[in-house]
Amino acid sequence: MASTSALSPVKSDNALLNALRLVPGVLLLAAIGYAGKFLERFLNTYAKAHHWMFPNIEYVLWAILIGLAIGNTVGVPKLFQAGIATYEFWLKLGIVLLGARFVLADVLKLGGISLALVVIEITLSLALMTLLGRMFKLKPKLISLLAIGSSICGVSAIIAAKGAIDADDEDSSFAIAAILALGALALFTFPAIAHALRMNDVSYGLWAGLGVDNTAEATAAGALYSDAAGKVAVLAKTARNAMIGFVVLAYAIYWAGRGQAEAVTDKAAFLWRKFPKFILGFLLMSSLVGFHVFSKAQIGSLGNLSKWAFLLTFAGVGLRTNFRDMSKQGLRPFVVGALGEVLIACLTLGLVVGANRIWGL
Amino acid sequence: MTTDTSMETSSSKGTALSLDTWALIVAFVLALAVRFDILKNVPW
Repeated sequence: MASTSALSPVKSDNALLNALRLVPGVLLLAAIGYAGKFLERFLNTYAKAHHWMFPNIEYVLWAILIGLAIGNTVGVPKLFQAGIATYEFWLKLGIVLLGARFVLADVLKLGGISLALVVIEITLSLALMTLLGRMFKLKPKLISLLAIGSSICGVSAIIAAKGAIDADDEDSSFAIAAILALGALALFTFPAIAHALRMNDVSYGLWAGLGVDNTAEATAAGALYSDAAGKVAVLAKTARNAMIGFVVLAYAIYWAGRGQAEAVTDKAAFLWRKFPKFILGFLLMSSLVGFHVFSKAQIGSLGNLSKWAFLLTFAGVGLRTNFRDMSKQGLRPFVVGALGEVLIACLTLGLVVGANRIWGL
Repeated sequence: MTTDTSMETSSSKGTALSLDTWALIVAFVLALAVRFDILKNVPW
């Protein structure tokens, strides 16, 4: 007892110090996000006042570009790194709060369509990446990681799978680098292609949610097109994330069967451990709105809070994308990833166009 | 870092909450603040 109470102040000191370490990076994320908002407003007003034909560049893109510029030129000092790593927390917070902007019936309808498309997308992506990996003679576990990362949810899925299939650190950093580099490219190519094809918000949102691997990049790619497309992209991506446990479990069983990973004893516990719990928060928030817990103005406030959380995420996406580090990872995994991603993007585009014809999105 | 989809936010592994749990807690605290109009006059 005595030892516990003696340790408590040390523990709370550590917790406080850990929290304080986050402050500079979080402030930097907020400053970049705010600068993005400011630039959007300022340039629009300036262009209007001077009768310029200046394209409306959304704050999302500004936040990413400022982050990219800082991260790839002066770099991010160590002082800020812990706080910048919280971008994933802001992403999850933003998604839970975004639940307030969805009526549960819409979630069920769009989520149902997304889930149906997700199952097809995952099956085809896994097969395609495995085939490409074998053609390019990549290491078997690297193929598994790339297949999992590109079919479900990028970095989180790779981290979840790394432990489950007992993969090397080197393989997982290869796979993560490839997925991040391709995610960064998708940020610019997806909206441009969608504008050229004149896709509607729902179709584009579904495409971004199905085709872009990492949740932060999928959210940003959606928001770059329009607010409505951003919402749908998050929903489709969330449906994809929900499948993470099943795919990782299948791979864990496969590698355990070959004696190259630990056997999974309790499959239900494994699935629950891998399930992204923030999805439950998203659904609960949407249900609360359905039960009229919040007024219209309050739903607006929750939507604004969600936008602010995403703004910090987008600043983090820009800051942590380092092209120099990515280029060090080697060309072959990147080529396999790029080829796979282009094919998956075409495939998911076909799926969305097909769904649009069947269900009239 | 755990092998879960989320990172632990503290070095004390046994007691640390996952990132998902933190996101849920903060989101619902904010939702409560909005529900009781504590954040009513924030200029978003």
